[in-house]
Amino acid sequence: MLLLRWSDGGVQSGGDVNQKQMQLGVGVLGALGVVSVLMLHWMVFFWVPTESTMGVVQRIFYIHVPAWWIAFLGFGLVALCSAVYLWLGDERLDRAAVAGAEAGMIFTTVGLLTGPLWGRVAWGTWWEWEPRLTLALILWFIYLGYFLVRKSTVNPEQGKRFAAVVGIIGVLDIPLIHISVTWFRSLHPEAVILSADNPMNLEASMGATIGVGLLAFTLIFASLFLARYLVSGYEHELDLRDAALPVEQGAEA
Amino acid sequence: MMAYLQFVWAIARKDLLVEFRTHERLTAMGAFTVLVGLLFSFAIDTALVRTQDIAAALIWMTIIFGGLLGMGRTFRMEEQDGALSGILQSPIPLDALYLGKVLANFILLSMMVALVFVVFTAFFRLQFSGSVVALLGVVSLGVLGFVTLTTLFSAMASRSTMGESLLPVLVFPLLIPVVRFGTQATSRLYAGRPIAEVSGDLRLLAVFAIVFTIACAWLFRFVIEE
Amino acid sequence: MSFGLEAEGLVRTFGGLRAVSGVSFQLQPGELLTVFGPNGAGKTTLLRMLAGVMRPTSGHVRVGGESADVAGRGWRHRVGVVSHQSLLYAQLTVEENLRFYGRLFGLTDLKTRIPERLESVGLADRARTPVRDLSRGLKQRVALARALLHDPEVVLLDEPYTGLDPHASAVLRKQLSSLKDGRRTVVLVTHNLVQGLELADRVAIQVRGRFASVTDAASLGLAGLDELYHGAVQGSA
Repeated sequence: MLLLRWSDGGVQSGGDVNQKQMQLGVGVLGALGVVSVLMLHWMVFFWVPTESTMGVVQRIFYIHVPAWWIAFLGFGLVALCSAVYLWLGDERLDRAAVAGAEAGMIFTTVGLLTGPLWGRVAWGTWWEWEPRLTLALILWFIYLGYFLVRKSTVNPEQGKRFAAVVGIIGVLDIPLIHISVTWFRSLHPEAVILSADNPMNLEASMGATIGVGLLAFTLIFASLFLARYLVSGYEHELDLRDAALPVEQGAEA
Repeated sequence: MMAYLQFVWAIARKDLLVEFRTHERLTAMGAFTVLVGLLFSFAIDTALVRTQDIAAALIWMTIIFGGLLGMGRTFRMEEQDGALSGILQSPIPLDALYLGKVLANFILLSMMVALVFVVFTAFFRLQFSGSVVALLGVVSLGVLGFVTLTTLFSAMASRSTMGESLLPVLVFPLLIPVVRFGTQATSRLYAGRPIAEVSGDLRLLAVFAIVFTIACAWLFRFVIEE
Repeated sequence: MSFGLEAEGLVRTFGGLRAVSGVSFQLQPGELLTVFGPNGAGKTTLLRMLAGVMRPTSGHVRVGGESADVAGRGWRHRVGVVSHQSLLYAQLTVEENLRFYGRLFGLTDLKTRIPERLESVGLADRARTPVRDLSRGLKQRVALARALLHDPEVVLLDEPYTGLDPHASAVLRKQLSSLKDGRRTVVLVTHNLVQGLELADRVAIQVRGRFASVTDAASLGLAGLDELYHGAVQGSA
């Protein structure tokens, strides 16, 4: 709401996609997201039946799995926008990449926090070198690197390029890291992995709950993404205003 | 093509010439290797653990940490007296500049790795009965993969206000495949397992090295540009 | 007939800071332009853009009519740079440094070319001396030999006199004056009015990223330049 009011302060939309529409998008998607998250929680706590082998704790999956999906979506967006940013040099793509990275990092953090909660009950340990959990931890650190390099240069454009490079390298590395962590497990047969987070085995009601979870998180993600994108746009315009020495043709020599 | 390779070699040759004259990075990496071997020998209780079993882990951790020490300084010599802007002003393609740096780093790191094997074999009385060729393959592909990433990121670190402290945070998560496949293959070879058991690791190390040599050579221009 | 060196609407921003703000000029082959300006006026940034080391935020540079794009490599054969930094490796000898740069420029006749260049800056006997053992003045002469190794038609000089004692500056000045052979286009950046005016055909005063004034040097004495310079600097303060 704050965002919507602040933006009335006359920020010119220029050639951008209509900012008014985007602000509306932030609100609508956010509202829908909040509603579906509430609904998700109602379903998780009151509606969906308790899974027989794992018990109550399995319900955290309905939060955990969608968070995980969004973490990947965010990373995909970062890499895609970064690559095109380096190619075309359009500021808006960098803003989209940051928006994707920030939202992605939030959901990776959610995944990392909910995973051990479940693991504590299911495995009896807070941390287990379960492939997906391990991968999430690695992703989290790659995101961290992404934000670190952004802020680590005197010249902000250079920081943006550095971040884009990290984003692209990160995504290229993910398949190999994935193989690494999957193989890692094969050496530790004692860490029995429950395959219950595979939606294929779920009952219809559980499937529906997961579905609502995915929808809810995607909506929240989209709303956060758009909001962050808009804010970066405003920051950019403020920067330009600070630098608003008029561009004049220099004297001809 | 010939001209391109000459550019690559000109850079590598210059880097090696400077290094062989100052010995800065070689001394740091060599001393690190021997000292870490010394520390490990105090840290490991050989009554409880057979060093033979953990040799691969020790070797690769030493390569990663010691390597980072040397590779992190790749662009240090270019900063003195603005030498880098002299190179950037010249017609040399930027990917050739990058590949030249990678080549020099690969040679320097290989020298350190050779020392790692000599020192660790002596300190821990390691027995090796596997295929030497396979071990050479594993180590050189692993080292190449390591060097491609660290060379790119050391360029980034040299241009950032955080300097070399940025390197581990950026590089370690990305290096997990090298550590994983390199250690796995090395330990199997040390255990005398047949080559067939490491061919998967070898292939993945090769994929890592090839993917990042190409990707980093392309991305380098965005890092080095001001 | 194309210009020796052309800049069109060069702008460079660093985040919110505008270091160079719309600089345009055209130089005939053989002309020497001196750019004066106070510290922080964006002179070095301008020169780095002309050298193709830094990408302009907007605007173009053309060298002998050819577009000097940062991504392009071919046109770089036509430009040489001398900076207040030597751009040399202290650990290598004079000859090794020159050979390295010669290779970067794809030169093949280095065996004869390097001694010639060293001769021309009076350092023929120093070929095997490590650069770290040279005085500041001699180092700057090697830097000049390096910049001219590939015989560029455009030479960019960024505060070349910095840190030189009077004798060394006099020697360097003599060598720089040999650049004025009617063929080479030269841009010299400095804040020293006397040294900058001596060789100039044209004079520009850069203040806050812009050329505040551009004049012919011939009609301008030192006193005139002094007045113009202080006027320009104060006028924009």
